[in-house]
Amino acid sequence: MPGVHSAPIPVSGWTPWLFILPALLLYFLFVLVPMGTSFGMSLFHWEGASARPVFCGFTNFSRLPKDPVFWRAILHNILLLVGSLAIQLPIAAGLALLLYYPLWGRSLFRTAFVSPMVIPTAAVAILWQYIYAPENGMLTSLIRLIRPDFEYAWLATPGASLFWIFVVICWQYIGFHCVLFMAALTAVPQGCIDAARLDGASEWQICRHLLIPLMKPMARVSVILSVVGSLKYFDLIYLMAGGLPAENREVAATYIYRLAFDYGQGRFGYASACAVILFLLALGVTIAIQHSSDTTGGTP
Amino acid sequence: MRPRTIARHLLLLAFFLYSAYPLIWMFLCACRMEGEAQARPLALPRFWTADNFLAVFRNPLFGQAYLNSLLLCTLCVAAVVLLASAAAFAFSMMDFRWKRPLFLLFLLGMMIPVHVTLIPLNRMVGAMALKESLLPLAGPYIAFALPVSILILRGAFSQIPKELLDAARMDGCGPWTIFCRIALPLVRPALATVIIYNFLSMWNEYAFALTLLGPGTRTLPLALSEFSGEHGVLLTQTCAALSLVIVPLLLVFVFAQKQIVNGLAAGAIKE
Repeated sequence: MPGVHSAPIPVSGWTPWLFILPALLLYFLFVLVPMGTSFGMSLFHWEGASARPVFCGFTNFSRLPKDPVFWRAILHNILLLVGSLAIQLPIAAGLALLLYYPLWGRSLFRTAFVSPMVIPTAAVAILWQYIYAPENGMLTSLIRLIRPDFEYAWLATPGASLFWIFVVICWQYIGFHCVLFMAALTAVPQGCIDAARLDGASEWQICRHLLIPLMKPMARVSVILSVVGSLKYFDLIYLMAGGLPAENREVAATYIYRLAFDYGQGRFGYASACAVILFLLALGVTIAIQHSSDTTGGTP
Repeated sequence: MRPRTIARHLLLLAFFLYSAYPLIWMFLCACRMEGEAQARPLALPRFWTADNFLAVFRNPLFGQAYLNSLLLCTLCVAAVVLLASAAAFAFSMMDFRWKRPLFLLFLLGMMIPVHVTLIPLNRMVGAMALKESLLPLAGPYIAFALPVSILILRGAFSQIPKELLDAARMDGCGPWTIFCRIALPLVRPALATVIIYNFLSMWNEYAFALTLLGPGTRTLPLALSEFSGEHGVLLTQTCAALSLVIVPLLLVFVFAQKQIVNGLAAGAIKE
């Protein structure tokens, strides 16, 4: 109950501001001001990077719905999100269950699963470009052990390249989600499991009725991370899909970047309008998740 | 061994190969001769060589970029720790006007896709003619690290028993002394999380570096992508460069797994 009981340290006047202002100032300057500027810029029209901006009202926004590349970019974001939810999270939960019972090499497995997470995404992109290289890349070479005449341009196939990039995203993040689920499982009281076993529950029943429900709160965390993360994809897509036609290679963030900075396009206003939409999307989705888990999630 | 145990091991081993084999392949490539990498890219190297690593060391791109990244990340993380711990201390220990809205304002920063701010920041930097230094990155790096750091540290501060703080006040400690002498030493694990997590994300950051730095200034991820795109650079050399970037990180990771995962998860867990 705020206001009823006092804070641990009673302070006078402006002492709290001495603690907060430095952080607030930087945050204001480098996060909030650019955010606001982005909104402002979306109302202007630039004819090239060095031209003077002309006020154009909401023209940029009214052009967006007719832009096929923009929609494809958003669609790609959504596809990647759906993939994360439908493929990454179940695999991660499955791995966490496999690692739940003591077995040989447990911490080795765990460390190996999570380690891709700490590698710079730029390095990941370069490494996987070599793995996918059509001539002597790792995958092509592996498949040629069985089928010597195998040929496939992994990343240069417009319809499929997004899927191959998704494989890389899984490589980076499944282990991380797995560790989150493992953390949830360590909170399961051993007594519960022993009691269930004494009552004659099979391992499968314990898994189905005890362990999986207990992972649910953490699944929410994973879902939020996936949703927020899927709107932020940039490095990997920018570096790996660069060679494709425009409508096949973009996600929202790369499209914004290319509109503004590539080929001296300098379409700052239009790019800002895309950025504003991206921000509103992120905000809306986050609020929706928080709200839905507040009302429906009975789990602690 | 029971069949079930074997099946579990097989499944885990399959995923282990998916996780680890690309990295092993990379490291083996880095130790090969180029000709061999073309002819038999999967086998163990017939001749192990360090030439590729030496070639990377000789390339002027890398040394400077390594130093740049090290300097930038160290200073920014130090700033984040100072600013975020002070702010988090106030948010958890003191009452003041607009406390709640201000805290929510900070949390908002975790939802903002950073790319929304790229264009204004780029114009800002251009206007200030800072493009030839690392300075343009410092502001955004620190500012965008604040929300999650404040969240983590506020949680840690609120765990400190109230009796301890009362006792300190009885002994005549002011808020500043309590902060430096009592509160900060007690939240050391959270500080470790904040330091390691932020260092890692700044070390790996790519989009801001790409947008805000001039052509002569590079952080490590920029240097990497530039190096691999350079004309005449070989697969083996790129793999050596990648190994030189990745292996130290993996070593850090093995020792600081817990803090890293904590930091990454903190963003999603509601206060």
